[in-house]
Amino acid sequence: MFHLALKMLMGDRAKYIMLVGGLTFSALLMTQQTAVFQGLLSWTTSHLRNMRAPLWVVEAHVDYANETKPLRDTDVNRVRSVKGVDFAVPMYQGILKARAFDGSDKQVMIIGLHGATLFGRPPQMLAGNLETLRLPNTVVIDELGVQRLSAGRKKPIGLGDTFEINDREARVVGICRTERHFFGYPYVFTSYDQALQYAPRQRKMLSLILASPRPGVTPAEAARRISAETGLKAYTSDEFAKVTVAYIWKNTGIPMSFMTTIILGFIVGVAVSGQTFYSFVLENLRHLGALKAMGASTWTLARMLLLQAFTAGFIGYGMGVGITAAFGFAVLPGGQPPFVLEAASLIRTAVAIVIICFFAALLGIRKVAKLEPAVVFRG
Amino acid sequence: MLFRKASFYFAIIGVVAALLLVKRMQQKPKDPGPVSAPARSPYDDTVAATGIVEAVRENVKIASPKAALITKVFVKVGDQVKSGDPLFQLDDREAAARTVSMEAQLTSMTATLAAEEVQVADWSDQFERTSRLRRDNVATDDELKRRQFSLETAKARVAATKAGIAATARQLDQSKVELGVLTVRAPRDGQLLQVNIREGEFAPAAAISGDPLLLLGDVDKLQVRAEVDEQNAVLVDAQQPAEASLKGHADMVMPLRFLRIEPYVVPKRSLTGDSLERVDTRVLQIIFEFDRPKFPVYVGQQVDVFIKRAPGSLGHAVN
Repeated sequence: MFHLALKMLMGDRAKYIMLVGGLTFSALLMTQQTAVFQGLLSWTTSHLRNMRAPLWVVEAHVDYANETKPLRDTDVNRVRSVKGVDFAVPMYQGILKARAFDGSDKQVMIIGLHGATLFGRPPQMLAGNLETLRLPNTVVIDELGVQRLSAGRKKPIGLGDTFEINDREARVVGICRTERHFFGYPYVFTSYDQALQYAPRQRKMLSLILASPRPGVTPAEAARRISAETGLKAYTSDEFAKVTVAYIWKNTGIPMSFMTTIILGFIVGVAVSGQTFYSFVLENLRHLGALKAMGASTWTLARMLLLQAFTAGFIGYGMGVGITAAFGFAVLPGGQPPFVLEAASLIRTAVAIVIICFFAALLGIRKVAKLEPAVVFRG
Repeated sequence: MLFRKASFYFAIIGVVAALLLVKRMQQKPKDPGPVSAPARSPYDDTVAATGIVEAVRENVKIASPKAALITKVFVKVGDQVKSGDPLFQLDDREAAARTVSMEAQLTSMTATLAAEEVQVADWSDQFERTSRLRRDNVATDDELKRRQFSLETAKARVAATKAGIAATARQLDQSKVELGVLTVRAPRDGQLLQVNIREGEFAPAAAISGDPLLLLGDVDKLQVRAEVDEQNAVLVDAQQPAEASLKGHADMVMPLRFLRIEPYVVPKRSLTGDSLERVDTRVLQIIFEFDRPKFPVYVGQQVDVFIKRAPGSLGHAVN
């Protein structure tokens, strides 16, 4: 009986393609847009993954990861004095102008790492050695930096080449891989003392403090203690990421526009699939009627329709996420557009497709339930 | 039926590819951690501070007694000097010339004195002889008196010249003292930590604001001056043990012994190579002494300091 159902479904090639195509498109739209959206959100917290630290201590009124409100130099020692803190190091972050070889100015994100420990350093080095940063006037740039700062050069900028930051020489001693910054600035890593030389002089220069909890103390517990004792705000990196995403969610229109696309994907899926399936049922009404006349119960027919709907649903879903995955693999090396595919979004799409199929099947079942077997013999 | 359709296999491949991608996206590079060990507190409850190594007896900034040209520098950086050793010589030509002329004057006055003393002897002889003639009534009273006055005049002149010589001798002493002042000497035993003058430079006599001419210190015994943010000042207790590690070398640890807390809270000077004061931050300074460790430690070096918090101190109330 179910073999028959599948034969009915796939026998009409045009209808079958139409039905599966609608579902594929719907699945693709939902998965791909979710992935791009999550990729974009992940860019907002890329800062927290490019500089790895369990604890981030910032000024009490900082709302999200890329915001800088400077602290006083002695705050490092105040954080070090908190019980449960293993160590704490100062960090500078700021957006400065770098001059490329052709004289054009590029905005770069300068990160000043604590000179002795280089804590918070980027996880992946592609060329050079990060520890060379202890030499004067040295920087480590990322791949985007290579691309931007090579403007006007015959060869891309490499180890030993120099450019200017704020009219001071910067010699490239390493190239690292970073995740892209939300605002598209290349990362330039240097030592804290060197970063203060590059940065314009301000009353307070310390941007934030990176810290690590003692073994046996959870980061959350250490963060709570730092906040209570110093009056600064300490986040674990997960908390800081959540706060940042919440800020973007609340203060920009980006989430809303993506949500709209995802909902549209769902509606298109429901409409196209529902309609196609319903017309498919209508067309096969004669065959279904014949089956009913032969003694098949409505329940059997309903199960046949459900099988047909879910088969189409599975194939559409599989092809949809497959195309998404192909897109993902294609953009993964370049890192643009943003793309993060999570298991949760695959499951969400699956649930949506199940709902669509169930809805489509329900329409058909309603028709079949009311069907008089006599109809078959009328025409 | 289903298994004969290519689209079914496409769907399977699609799902598998998506799952692979999810798995790949979950792979994150490992946390790199610090390159070298960061400074860690050896105590559970601690007050962290930044410190600087200095000589136990505070360093002496040697100044010039008067504004003058420097003609000779007797020492170089690192020299050990004893109290009273000459350090540098200021231009002494004027003072030396004055001494020489004073000495010449003294010689000339001594000669004058000799001539005047001869005069006294002459008059004294004449007076004696005239007084004998007067006794025999050969000379008149008038002649005797004239000889007597002449003798006294000569004696008075000798006394005046002697006083003049004494005065000139004092002046010579003075100019010799002035000459001596132009040689700047070590006020105490120690080592020269800085020499910022060269022969031919001009030494100002004004108060020194920047680099001193010479910096004299005793580097046999060193101490650490630790600075604690004023907001943490209440957490510091006297007589608590502490540890210092060299900046950038957390494994080079020196145990510290408490010496004293400076009673005056000073504005923090940035130790990051910037000489500008950050006036919104004031720091409490705590002085610790330590024995020279096996690794080299230099005066002026920065250290990370962790001071133990006393049990029951104010800081414990916060946790």
